[in-house]
Amino acid sequence: MSSLRYDARMRLGPFEYDATFEADGEVVVLFGHSGAGKSLTLQATAGLLTPREGHIEIAGRTVFDSASGMNLPPQDRNTGYVVQELALFPHMTVLENVGFGVRGTRADRERQARLLLERLGLEGYEDRAPGSLSGGQRQRVALARALAREVPLLLLDEPFSALDESLRRTLRAELLRLRADLGLTVVFVTHDLREAHLLADRLAVFDRGRILQFDRREEVFRHPVSRRVAELTGVSNVMAASVLARLEGAIEVDVDGLVLRVADPAWHPAVGERVELALRAERINLRRGTPAGLGEPNLVEAEVVEEHAYGAGHTLRFRPLGAGPHLEVDLPSRPYEVLGVQERRRWTLELPSEDLHVMRPSEGSTSTGG
Amino acid sequence: MELRSARADVIALSVVVVLGALFALYFVLPLAGLGARAASDGEVWELASSEAVRSALVLSLWTSTLSTVLAIVLGTPVAYWLARTNVRGRTALDALVDLPIVLPPTVAGVALLTAFGGQGLIGGPLAEATGIRLTFTAAAVVMAQFLVAAPFYVRAARSGFAAVDQQFERVAYTLGASRVETFLRITVPQARGALLAGVVLCWARALGELGATLIFAGSLEGRTRTMPLAIIDAFERTSLGLSGAVSMSLILLVVAFVVLVVFRLATPGTSSR
Repeated sequence: MSSLRYDARMRLGPFEYDATFEADGEVVVLFGHSGAGKSLTLQATAGLLTPREGHIEIAGRTVFDSASGMNLPPQDRNTGYVVQELALFPHMTVLENVGFGVRGTRADRERQARLLLERLGLEGYEDRAPGSLSGGQRQRVALARALAREVPLLLLDEPFSALDESLRRTLRAELLRLRADLGLTVVFVTHDLREAHLLADRLAVFDRGRILQFDRREEVFRHPVSRRVAELTGVSNVMAASVLARLEGAIEVDVDGLVLRVADPAWHPAVGERVELALRAERINLRRGTPAGLGEPNLVEAEVVEEHAYGAGHTLRFRPLGAGPHLEVDLPSRPYEVLGVQERRRWTLELPSEDLHVMRPSEGSTSTGG
Repeated sequence: MELRSARADVIALSVVVVLGALFALYFVLPLAGLGARAASDGEVWELASSEAVRSALVLSLWTSTLSTVLAIVLGTPVAYWLARTNVRGRTALDALVDLPIVLPPTVAGVALLTAFGGQGLIGGPLAEATGIRLTFTAAAVVMAQFLVAAPFYVRAARSGFAAVDQQFERVAYTLGASRVETFLRITVPQARGALLAGVVLCWARALGELGATLIFAGSLEGRTRTMPLAIIDAFERTSLGLSGAVSMSLILLVVAFVVLVVFRLATPGTSSR
């Protein structure tokens, strides 16, 4: 029995929205640009909008089914819905806000609200007005209010996006702890890649009203199904390639005249087939020496042509000295200094064959990643 | 340079003060006039306790209150719907509700006659079938006030509701609150300031209603003669004369002032818009 089974189709601006996924005692992150259909998915789940067709089950109970005309109102769907703006009721105290959805007597409501406030570290704030709280505290109140009804399913729509990074980190950790403690299923909407990576057990990548890929987090990050997913999930090196040979447990491909070996390909394209190749910038190694001298496959001699420094590391852009694609490499600041990248501009890049990932070419894609 | 701008500031400030003072003076002088007249004219106090004045005041108070209550009961759903809907034709309906605000009240009175008068659209058949005639009754007073004053409430309520983010209502629904419960516990409290401002405006407009009432309800002493009508009447025809008009004006002034102050005190933290 899944906590959420979701399948819906409807019109979304210029796009046709069509999404199917499920969540079961885990955090499922809906990831994508704004307008891709993530928030729409939460609203359809909560019953705030009605899809044209589809079927939605929450905790084993059908709440929407277009075929049979079933459509429960939001009041009866038993979801905890937290929106980006939080929507704390400004005319009520913190305690009244948290107790708002609790059924039973006034005493029941108060008891449950106090329990939740304590769980979220908000004792002493019961009588405060929401407007007088800090951003992080308001966030906790919104979570407490959603949880106070003891719902099986929490729907969070970019809840942390208005907060600064250190606070977001704390709240993410808190959310994961709550999830484990209460055995919740969480559907979390974000357009922040790091947040998606940190929170997701499974990840649904949205683009223009479609789920391009729904899979375990590592699977999505390591084996994106298409160039679009690779780009959305932050893969900097996506290259057009053609298959040269099929070997035992590997294939050989040609990228702009450079021969690369791909170990354990996700699928086995035929020789001569056009494919696309993804390689995350942080998986490329820098080596001294020349490829000929090293005598191994998947080595490219290249020089730095562009460089950006971020707090935690450097992004380097390389141009191959011979044939081959331009490549982007992410290097943490420590190896950057130890290797002396600042002084030395020519390097041998190692593209590990097990980190290269082949994808089917997308329709109409012609450009090469370089 | 700095000196020059400081000087310009002083001049600007002086202009503002002078203009403000002129404005205030213009509003204070008529009140002072009423007060002065009352102080010098012994008749004013005598007349204030006369039967004619008493009955006009009582009629004015209950009709204006009733038409305000009707405006709240009938106008709130319309205001909420106007604030939330996006259907085509909403603009036209918006304008229709606002129409009585820009319409001269005498026009409203004539229009009421053509609809509810003895030979009116509804009034004719009604009189034939039941013998009930609305014109020249207290009911007609309320109808005239309602038509002219209710739009002020609907207008204020509509913008008050529109200012409440729908996200609050949506979240309340997911927390199990019904639509009615959400409206009463989430929407109305947040729109409270605008709603109360609308109530005050509507009531004040009903209290001061003259033209529509005169045409549709007439000015029958003890039955349809409200305070504004009594003031006109005193001024034009009767023996009460200017002293009577002054006395009733003072009474209305005091009543209106007391109501406004009580409303302000009862609604701390909200300013009428």
